[in-house]
Amino acid sequence: MAVAAQAVPRATAVTRPRKEREQELLVWPDLVFIEFIAAVLFTLSFLILSAVVDAPLLNRANLDITPNPSKAAWYLVSLQEMLLHMHPALGGVIAPTFALGGLAALPYIDRKTEGQGAWFATPYAIRITLFSAAFASIFLVGLVLYDQGRHVNVITNIAQRVDADWEWPGKLAPFQNVRAIQTGWEWHIPVPEAAQLGPGEHDGELNWPQDFQNVPMPFNGTSGPDWMRWGAPDFLPGWMQAMYWYDLNMNTPTFVVEQFIPVFIMVALPFLLIYILRRLGWVQDVRGGAIALFTGLMTSYFVLTIIGAAFRGAGQDLVMPWDVPKID
Amino acid sequence: MSVTEQPRGPGIGGWLADKLFRNYIWRSIFRSGYPNTPRNQMLVVATNVFLHLHPTRIHKTHVRITHTYCLGGLTFFFFLSLTVTGVMLMFYYVPSPGQAYTDLQALETNIRFGMLMRNLHRWMAHGMVISVFLHMMRVFYTGAYKPPREFNWVVGVILLTLTLALSFTGYLLPWDQLAIWAVTVGMNMAGTAPILGEDTRLILLGGLEVGDAALIRFYTLHVIGLPLIAAIFMAVHFWRIRRDGGLARPL
Repeated sequence: MAVAAQAVPRATAVTRPRKEREQELLVWPDLVFIEFIAAVLFTLSFLILSAVVDAPLLNRANLDITPNPSKAAWYLVSLQEMLLHMHPALGGVIAPTFALGGLAALPYIDRKTEGQGAWFATPYAIRITLFSAAFASIFLVGLVLYDQGRHVNVITNIAQRVDADWEWPGKLAPFQNVRAIQTGWEWHIPVPEAAQLGPGEHDGELNWPQDFQNVPMPFNGTSGPDWMRWGAPDFLPGWMQAMYWYDLNMNTPTFVVEQFIPVFIMVALPFLLIYILRRLGWVQDVRGGAIALFTGLMTSYFVLTIIGAAFRGAGQDLVMPWDVPKID
Repeated sequence: MSVTEQPRGPGIGGWLADKLFRNYIWRSIFRSGYPNTPRNQMLVVATNVFLHLHPTRIHKTHVRITHTYCLGGLTFFFFLSLTVTGVMLMFYYVPSPGQAYTDLQALETNIRFGMLMRNLHRWMAHGMVISVFLHMMRVFYTGAYKPPREFNWVVGVILLTLTLALSFTGYLLPWDQLAIWAVTVGMNMAGTAPILGEDTRLILLGGLEVGDAALIRFYTLHVIGLPLIAAIFMAVHFWRIRRDGGLARPL
């Protein structure tokens, strides 16, 4: 019965009332000719393009000579760009999988039938699109520039004209780039005598990053009281052992830099975008939110592709397009 | 059997048309008459296996170029053209590390129109990736994924990934520095996937690094495996467009 009930609205889309016939054209010639002309135009233009521009062929493949930079195909360059800023599994696999999954799930989230069959048919659709594209571009370019850290040189140069001994203060290392949280940031919190736990000497301070590099995870089988200590789970098949965090001590600074901050940004920015658009009153339903997120995703893809393809030189350094070395 | 109209013009034109289009052999091939009357124009679409991708009639807004920019059809056109140029290239290409690069050089210098075919194949491959993206954006911004077309959007997402996979597998075949390092970078990315990553990488490469096993695997996937899968999903994609009543229309 459920199937029959579902079939009713669908059937109306297929059978067309008589009066609609007057709105209809014959596929031959009205559509077939357009398709034919389009095919001819594209065949011709690609023939001309292929006669003028040759496909690249570099030197014979050689795994002993690594070109610098070595880049992925252009449609994967955006993922390669993400690898520079976060954990490789997160940037190269997990985030894109979520993006594709979200893309596929879209019609099951936005189920209303309004706004179909015409460009930007819902209210504020164009505004949402433009705003989301600008939002994503500005934040992405800003984040890439921040993580590249060129501003550190600029500010240091200026400050050293005033005071030749000036250096970027260690407390402000996170403002250099995200990796500096792990490698350049230092702070110390004095720990009262009573709270100094664990065996051995205690220096009386909690120091970032060294005291956070080896934090035992709960239930890892090697930390905690005696009853929480057990042997390696040899009885599990290998792939399960790989998933179980036996013996795992977390490197907190690395985790923060490579996973926590990137995930936080990738989740928080879409939420911020939707929040702003709702406050503006432009996003009023699921379709509006879908337009914002889809536009944000597409813009991120394009911006990262452009940065990765045209602005990454030797050593994946951020350079101007004309400074990207030609590889052979 | 379809009954067709046969308007006959006077004079020599009509006589010629009779001889050309009304003889026994012609009519055994093309069952509808010359498509110059509405009835024959519908029959020519309905009785032809290729044109039968279309309905016989279509809403007049749907032939407006700006409604779709022909992007889906263009993607299909690229797929067909890539098949033709790809078959041409296969005649001259041996997928082995010893010979692939030499074959490419021969294709560019010794073989008539070899360079043209290779250029066409490469630029159209890029064109197809771009047109798939643009088609997806067209479908999204015209709201054409909404009921009853939900699942066809999912099929479209699958076709997008298949297009990227087709392009990626083809990228290795020239066996030059660009090819091998782009694939190395891509496969290293896949290798970082949790749990399944390393196995996926090993299966696709047939070894620890991009070598002869990887080349033959990518070649097989590129010339037959992925095109077959893509063709099946394309058939589903087109079939469902017809079943869902053609292009989406405002309510």
